[in-house]
Amino acid sequence: MQPQATMPKLSLPNIRTIIAVASGKGGVGKSTVSANLALALAASGNKVGLMDADIYGPSMPTMMGINGVIDQSTTPLPLEKYGLKIMSMGFLVPPTQAVIWRGPMVHRALTQFLSDLDWGVLDYLVIDLPPGTGDAQLTLTQTVPLNGSVIVTTPQEVSMIDARKGIEMFKQVRVPILGIIENMSYFIGDDGKRYEIFRHGGGAKLAQEYNVPFLGEIPIDPKVAESGDEGLPIVLKHPESLVSKAYMALAKSVVSELGTMVAPKELPKLEL
Amino acid sequence: MTENNFALFPNSLKKQGDDSLLIDWNDGHQGILGWKHLRGNCPCATCRDERDKPANPFHILKPSELVQPAPTSLVPVGHYAYRIVWNDGHDSGIYTLESLRALCQCQECIAKKTTT
Repeated sequence: MQPQATMPKLSLPNIRTIIAVASGKGGVGKSTVSANLALALAASGNKVGLMDADIYGPSMPTMMGINGVIDQSTTPLPLEKYGLKIMSMGFLVPPTQAVIWRGPMVHRALTQFLSDLDWGVLDYLVIDLPPGTGDAQLTLTQTVPLNGSVIVTTPQEVSMIDARKGIEMFKQVRVPILGIIENMSYFIGDDGKRYEIFRHGGGAKLAQEYNVPFLGEIPIDPKVAESGDEGLPIVLKHPESLVSKAYMALAKSVVSELGTMVAPKELPKLEL
Repeated sequence: MTENNFALFPNSLKKQGDDSLLIDWNDGHQGILGWKHLRGNCPCATCRDERDKPANPFHILKPSELVQPAPTSLVPVGHYAYRIVWNDGHDSGIYTLESLRALCQCQECIAKKTTT
């Protein structure tokens, strides 16, 4: 496991807690979980930032209703919306333009997002990671003092296979795992019955397998996709929905896990 | 949260003379690693590739290969590894804590390796 560039750990004294939201697999709802988790944390009065670390496929501009490239001469970054400070590559590049970068450029962009922007004082910074275990993950685990990670999976085995890789990566780089969340867990039909469309119990099984907390289940609701596409996440648009309640519970569990966690010790240095 | 209790951890790192590194591990083990041994087991992709090639009997030594390897700095990487910057300018090897323990050259570890 090699670095894209050699760089010491960033010092971010104004950010109290940094949480990475990850999964091995794409399409499991990481960005939706990140946005709603950030808003749920902010709903309890916390100052929260949300950083989209998916350089190649940023979703946050759409989900947060921020369209078009931002003119940095008039609008400072990170942007403020819904009480969050938000940064995404999507604010710098038009949605139709592909970012065709090798790893070192990704590394540079992510470190600049963190070190060159004025995030102010934050209680929590939620980082939405891209899928996989590549450059973005490596840069963030090597240079950012991450307090913990949340692993998102859907219930079926095909998602869990890749989630395991994500867990193994965090174990290897010694970033504490706050827990696993099962997204798209079940669907409540108009008949009031519960349907487990993508099977059920994968998240809990994975949590047991790795002896990490199971943070809960987020049900499927078409309103999640509608809210995301409208740029108003479900926690704000339908706060009374079952999904929003699940996100509020998730935020509580994350805060509780962070409270029980002993911060990782810094490695001793050797003066030569 | 058992999995988050990352057991193996160095309490301190010290130089022993000019040629070795001493590591006091949190399980009481005192490890010793020669700089030459560490440089020879550099985990970077280039060095691994070099090691995997068949030995070249006609290899001509470069001036940098005649210098005894010594580190110019040891930089912690996250909470899991050290990056060693060598006096020949090479700096892309990231030694995880597990790999530093596995490379240990103390008598106890050498004896274990020879019996297995």
